[in-house]
Amino acid sequence: MIEVKELTRRYGRHYAVDKVSFHLERGEVVGLLGPNGAGKTTTMRILAGFLPATSAERLEVAGHDVLRNSLKVRESIGYLPESVPLYREMKVWEMLDFHGRLHRMGRKDRRRRTVEVLEQVGVSERSHQLVGTLSRGLRQRVGLAVALLPEPPVLILDEPTSGLDPLQRREVRSLVRDLTDDHTVLVSSHILAEIESMCSRVLVMAQGQLVADGTRQELEQRLGGSEGVRLEAFVGADPSGALELLKSLPGVLRVELGERLGIHQGFVIHGEGDLREDVGALAAQEGWAIRELSSQMRSLEDVFAQLVAGNAVELAGAKGLDESSDPVLDDGGGLLQLQSSSAPSADPGGEGKPARKMIYSLNPFDQGTSRDLGAPMEIDDPGSSDSKPDDPEVRS
Amino acid sequence: MRGTMVIYRRELAGLFLAPLGWMLLGLALFANGLLLYLVLGYTGGDLGAALRGALGGGTLFWALLVFLPPLLAMRMMAEESRSGTLEYLLTAPVSDAAVVVGKFLAATTFLGVIWSVVPLYGLLFQLQGSPPDWGAVFATWLGAVLTSGLFVSLGLLAATSTSTPLLAAFLAFAACLGWILVPTFGGQLLNTADALVGSSGFGELVIQTLRSSLRAMDVLRHFHFSWRMGVIDTAEVVFFCSWPCLFLFATVRMLEGRRWRV
Repeated sequence: MIEVKELTRRYGRHYAVDKVSFHLERGEVVGLLGPNGAGKTTTMRILAGFLPATSAERLEVAGHDVLRNSLKVRESIGYLPESVPLYREMKVWEMLDFHGRLHRMGRKDRRRRTVEVLEQVGVSERSHQLVGTLSRGLRQRVGLAVALLPEPPVLILDEPTSGLDPLQRREVRSLVRDLTDDHTVLVSSHILAEIESMCSRVLVMAQGQLVADGTRQELEQRLGGSEGVRLEAFVGADPSGALELLKSLPGVLRVELGERLGIHQGFVIHGEGDLREDVGALAAQEGWAIRELSSQMRSLEDVFAQLVAGNAVELAGAKGLDESSDPVLDDGGGLLQLQSSSAPSADPGGEGKPARKMIYSLNPFDQGTSRDLGAPMEIDDPGSSDSKPDDPEVRS
Repeated sequence: MRGTMVIYRRELAGLFLAPLGWMLLGLALFANGLLLYLVLGYTGGDLGAALRGALGGGTLFWALLVFLPPLLAMRMMAEESRSGTLEYLLTAPVSDAAVVVGKFLAATTFLGVIWSVVPLYGLLFQLQGSPPDWGAVFATWLGAVLTSGLFVSLGLLAATSTSTPLLAAFLAFAACLGWILVPTFGGQLLNTADALVGSSGFGELVIQTLRSSLRAMDVLRHFHFSWRMGVIDTAEVVFFCSWPCLFLFATVRMLEGRRWRV
């Protein structure tokens, strides 16, 4: 339903979208994930026909070429921009009626669909209220109703939960999930939990590039992988014997001694594949009383952080820049903290080195107004007290 | 153009639903009434002259024409761009030309409604037993509407160049004012230049060409020597229709160009 190949959009010298390729099948709900400035909105605006692409090998929505047959594309999509643009002086039903007229829907169709979509998004009782008097959450729903009105095969939703309270977010998420049967949905967000809960597949963008494409499980398996097997068991007073036995298991690369919790000793076993069966068999053979035996998987959040940080570092390297001069921005509290100890590219040395932190404060009043906002700031972080100040791996 | 009438109806309804529309309407009606009253007093009760004077007869009318279209253009282009509704319209299944023409027709209709008060005054005079020259009144009204269309199209072109409403209004105001003032002051400048150059062949030819070009663009002259005289001249109809077409075409191109700069 959506076919994008080598899509590029430049603003002067800056590449907002850089050779991005992906495709969406009919009925898929796909999340476009990335930090602010990653190129999500630009990609969606291009697909919606609002922005032209600088270049693209192929750009099709619902079988129509976006560049050559923009009007057909616009007929086939329901587009909800992040700002939810609605005419404030119109009543809710008037807004929907206007949208129906733009889509050349007949009077009966408009009336029928208006009732249906208002019910679907749960604002039936507000149909005679002025759009300008609605709360942000209700406006978001009306925006969604507008996008759904002409029953488009493709929905493009740019940050549909932005600015909503947790309850409203949950309702919108559930609404988007319910659209799977009739629509192909491309939904963007910079919040991982949103995408995880709504979408079967995730496209991760960072600095204008597509850095990952796959289902949650695929991404976790491919990029995250197992962080090891955690074992908590009673192995006697001295755990060194158990440690050696665990190390001797086939496929085990290393074993870390964890905390001792009462009579139980913790171990983290790293190796290839799922080691739980072998560890369980060994425990049974040795008569260890097991309290916990679990596989520790990296979460999608870790994978996301790894991808975004990894891409930033790669790009900085390609440009011959110092990593610290290429901050990843966040609009949350003005402070972004990426703990990328699990990222191979961010921690090329591997084991034994302290967790690296990149900390950028975008608050100009933080520690004086003359500070360079593009450079990492010095902070007192008790968590990094063991790091030496001159350690090149420690960036804060 | 598909969707033009849908956009037109929405824009017109939007103007009458927004406080700005009613404020402009009130202001224009007050100015028109005042002008009618002043001309009536000045001409010693000549109703026909007063009615024609209320449309194009005084500085107040032209001040309104320079002032109102920029505000309407600002509301229709720059404010919509800022609020995001322009993005909504430009991703709807209608062409950019339909959006621009719909907005142009709505703003011109709005100004036409404002100028309709003058024929209403004529009706009142008729009810009082003094029927006006309806042909002349209608021609002047039509001229006022077409002139409004010209200024609206010029305002839309200027307002499309920026998404800052205040700057858009200022640019549109400067463009409309310039369209009136340039032929007047340009003519005076050319007179001075003519005196300096004397009757040297090439210089005089250039000055004459510029003078005739400025005269051809002089909207005041076109208005006063046709519409206000009660004459509907096809040449004037072409003049007052071709410039808006050119400006609207440029507006559509500029809107398309903006997509590259967004």
